[in-house]
Amino acid sequence: MSQTVTKAAARTDGLRKVYGTGDASVEALRGITLDFAAGGFTAIMGASGSGKSTLLHCLAGLDTPTAGHVFIGDVDITQLSERQLTQLRRDKIGFVFQAYNLIPTLTARENITLPLDIAGRDVDQAWFDEVVDTTGLRDRLSHKPTELSGGQQQRVAGARALVSRPEIVFADEPTGNLDSRSSEELLRFLRGAVTDHGQTIVMVTHDAKAASYADRAVFLGDGRVVDEMELPTADRILDRLKSLEV
Amino acid sequence: MLRATIKSLLARKVRLLLTGLAVVLGVGFTAGTFILTDTALASFDDLFGQVFANIDVVVQAHQAFNPTQGGSGGSGGGQELNPVPEDLLPKVRAVPGVRYAEGSVQSFAQVIDPTTGEVVQSGFSPTIGSSWSTDLSAFTLDPGGAAPVGPHQVVIDAGTATARGLAVGQQIRVVTPSGTGEYTISGFVRFGTSNSVLGASFAIFDLPTAQRLFQREGKFDFIYVQGDGSITPDQLATAISGVLPQRFEAITGTTAASVQQDQVNKALGFLRTGLLVFGFVALFVGAFIIFNTFNIVVTQRSRELALFRALGARRRQVMTSVLVEAAVVGLIASIVGVLVGSVLAIGLKALVGAIGLKLPPTALVVAPRTIIVSLILGTTITVVAAVSPARRASRLAPIEALRETAAPSVAIRRRVIGGSLVAVLGIGTLAAGLFAGVSNAGLVVGLGAALTFVGVAMLSPLVARPISSTLGRPFRRRISGKLGGENANRNPRRTASTAAALMIALALVAFVAVFSASLKSSVTAVLDRTIRSDLMLTASQFSPFSPQLAEHLSTDPDFSAVSPLRQGAEAKVRSSTTFPVGVDPATLTDVANIEMDAGSIEALSEHNSVIVSRTEADSKDFSVGGKVPMEFARTGLKQLTVVGIFEPNAILNDYAVSLDTYDRNVAQLLDTVVFLKYAPGVDQAAARAKVETLVDKDYPSVQVNDQEETKQQYVDQVNQIFVIIYVLLILSVIIAAFGIVNTLGLSIYERVRELGLLRAVGMSRRQVKRMIRVEAVIIAVLGALLGLAVGILFGWAMQRALSDVGIDRFAIPVGQLVVWLILGALLGVLAAIVPARRAAKLNVLEAISYE
Repeated sequence: MSQTVTKAAARTDGLRKVYGTGDASVEALRGITLDFAAGGFTAIMGASGSGKSTLLHCLAGLDTPTAGHVFIGDVDITQLSERQLTQLRRDKIGFVFQAYNLIPTLTARENITLPLDIAGRDVDQAWFDEVVDTTGLRDRLSHKPTELSGGQQQRVAGARALVSRPEIVFADEPTGNLDSRSSEELLRFLRGAVTDHGQTIVMVTHDAKAASYADRAVFLGDGRVVDEMELPTADRILDRLKSLEV
Repeated sequence: MLRATIKSLLARKVRLLLTGLAVVLGVGFTAGTFILTDTALASFDDLFGQVFANIDVVVQAHQAFNPTQGGSGGSGGGQELNPVPEDLLPKVRAVPGVRYAEGSVQSFAQVIDPTTGEVVQSGFSPTIGSSWSTDLSAFTLDPGGAAPVGPHQVVIDAGTATARGLAVGQQIRVVTPSGTGEYTISGFVRFGTSNSVLGASFAIFDLPTAQRLFQREGKFDFIYVQGDGSITPDQLATAISGVLPQRFEAITGTTAASVQQDQVNKALGFLRTGLLVFGFVALFVGAFIIFNTFNIVVTQRSRELALFRALGARRRQVMTSVLVEAAVVGLIASIVGVLVGSVLAIGLKALVGAIGLKLPPTALVVAPRTIIVSLILGTTITVVAAVSPARRASRLAPIEALRETAAPSVAIRRRVIGGSLVAVLGIGTLAAGLFAGVSNAGLVVGLGAALTFVGVAMLSPLVARPISSTLGRPFRRRISGKLGGENANRNPRRTASTAAALMIALALVAFVAVFSASLKSSVTAVLDRTIRSDLMLTASQFSPFSPQLAEHLSTDPDFSAVSPLRQGAEAKVRSSTTFPVGVDPATLTDVANIEMDAGSIEALSEHNSVIVSRTEADSKDFSVGGKVPMEFARTGLKQLTVVGIFEPNAILNDYAVSLDTYDRNVAQLLDTVVFLKYAPGVDQAAARAKVETLVDKDYPSVQVNDQEETKQQYVDQVNQIFVIIYVLLILSVIIAAFGIVNTLGLSIYERVRELGLLRAVGMSRRQVKRMIRVEAVIIAVLGALLGLAVGILFGWAMQRALSDVGIDRFAIPVGQLVVWLILGALLGVLAAIVPARRAAKLNVLEAISYE
């Protein structure tokens, strides 16, 4: 393997995922080989049923692939035990889900430090402050999730994903439940994490506007990578999606 | 609507199974109690039928009333009857229609195990001595044995023989009212097919020997008559009555059997009521679990139920659907409960066997009443417990169907007012039952306690949050503990009502602990205050022993005072039952401090006099110089002159008479206790050793104890009884634990997404389990704390209520209660095992994926 300029934060190699057996089986991923460069912001796009969520779950160690390999850094996570996977998610991966991101019994601050608390690690106060300041939620830290707006909740989830300095953050339709203003705030926050701190982010979305914040868009269709686009804009993405549907 | 109800029932089998379990156990215990007591009754009926199978008529002395127990202090055999003179037998035999008649004497006889030297007795079962019946016996001799003949032969029951490894021809010691003798075993008898009768031991001598040993020379207790078949037993009894002097009667064998059956019925009635109390407690605890489960289920199904409403179902229909669900669950659980009860009956049989009531191995009797009562009880309780959740369900607005989460409306003020009202009403009822002397006090106290529990349970959500926050504090250092604590705090109502079940169970445990501690403390203090003797001679299980022992010791110069005490015969004063004590007025004050309010003990030496306790004198309005109408079973009504009023104490019951007066009115002239006081300057160890040697040789059933040993013996006995009560209460504790399992399971079901998130962001399975465990422990400890508090209160109330009858000390067994608290916490850990495992095994992907 040759030394490349940008090291991959994560990559997949011939990733296949089949649900069910026999006649009832559905092939969700049909051999996906992708690199996610460190410090890059990748959007994974595709129609529903294209396999984009399955890909994200396999990447994050939440689902086990039928064949192929997933690497987070240098580690082949398909070889890890359940316990090692849990540790990997805790230490190396950050998550932002579409909804239900927060534990209702914990305050915003406690939700942000949750992965560190689970790991029993100390909070890096400087880094915590920096993350919190970029979310603009400093004055809401002692609030419970029910006292926050949807957009605020998602930014807390974003802060939680960043606070443990993971190698990679996976975001699964993070703006799916947000209005356009809240979406924009969250996406700007994620973009800033990549630009200012070199955070690697992989985001699944079906929203062209959201994808336009990424450095690169990968288009899935029917379990395969059908196209890629560097420095996407919303308009170009929409055009591409239209052409893909034909 | 009905179809929808049944569909939803089937869809939630596991949850209903757990809910049903609470009912199953409560109903099972209730049904088990019925089955056990019915079975016992049937076997007693059978037994008495066999005893009197060959006997058409029984001749005996008139009895003023039938004592409730067939002898003194459980020793058995002693009849509170005047004897029948021997010369009546020829007259009876001469009555036309009599084929055969014979005399019989009965008393106690304690067989001494040749290997251990101890009296053969299981628990409180009787040790019976009897004369051999040559012709009318219900016993059959085992092959190789022979009837007892002459003064040195005895027949033993096959049960004792087998248990102690006895053989025909072997020498054996037997204690009778005349003292201890050594006899040769001439044979073994069995009773029908069973080799023992309800655990009783039998020693059977030939008639002359039995008469001598039982101090019935020239007399019988009964004359048993068999007719020649020419006339009916009733006619025969009438015919025999004609030749009898006034003080005697002839009754048919059937009547004699039914009299004994009545006595057993009464005794079993007590046992049944006692056991049913625990069954009802279990059902009551179960009701809380049903209430809780249905509440949670209604919350979880609120969208579905609101959808019914949106689709046009009326409130009543929604309510009915929940109640029908409850009825179906209750009915199925009750049916299972009856089946479980049959199994439990076997276990209960072993438990009552442990206290000496050995029942013969007959088939279990499941009466239709058992099934009907069990089914109605179980179903009704389930439905009643579901009423409040059902009402809540019916009040759901159709709009709730569209909301994301149904916000439970907590009408906290109404709850406080309602809860306080119920609690006050409960405490008031309780107080009325304990202090006001109402009739049916037991029932009133039970009702008061139940209401108090409901009231406290209604109020407990108020304290649930602060208490569980405090309890959660030590766990907060780790995130799993913190989350577990927060979860316990999340819905204080749910936490509180889950804890309520355990509260009730542990309140009763704490009550029993506090009460028994107070009892032990009071009685040992009273013993210290009252008894001045150095040694006390008592027989095992309070069985009486020959007065010869006291007579023998009274001449011994090593002792300055020898004072015997007799007790056990039942008497009635204005139709309430009492057990008067016979004392020696000359020596009693040497061995006991009896505080007299009026009159003196010495005055008892006057013929037909009595001293009365202050409480009894107050309640029945007796004063010195007045008369106490005391009715003895043997001699009938006697007017006794009150010569003194004494403060209640450990030795004398409500009434004490002189030994002389006692002996004139009571058939069994045996001592129950002998108090000894060393003479000054005597070598006490040597004196005691001498007594022990004498007792070992001639009175093997008697134990020699000093003051400390007596107290210890008493404490041991109390402990033994309370251990059995604990065992019975454990059922309710188990049901309460199921309640925690159920709530946790339902909560986890609600929080699947949250658990998925926690696992996704890296929480390990171990941490998840710990989180659930912490929640369970907090709920359990909350319940235990509330329970201990309520239980201590109940114990205190009970002690106050009984302070007049000598339980004048209040004691809290702190160590024991701490142990129960720890056990409560452990119960939480146990209850968390299954839910925690389920939560840990949760499929993360499924949990976090959207619809």
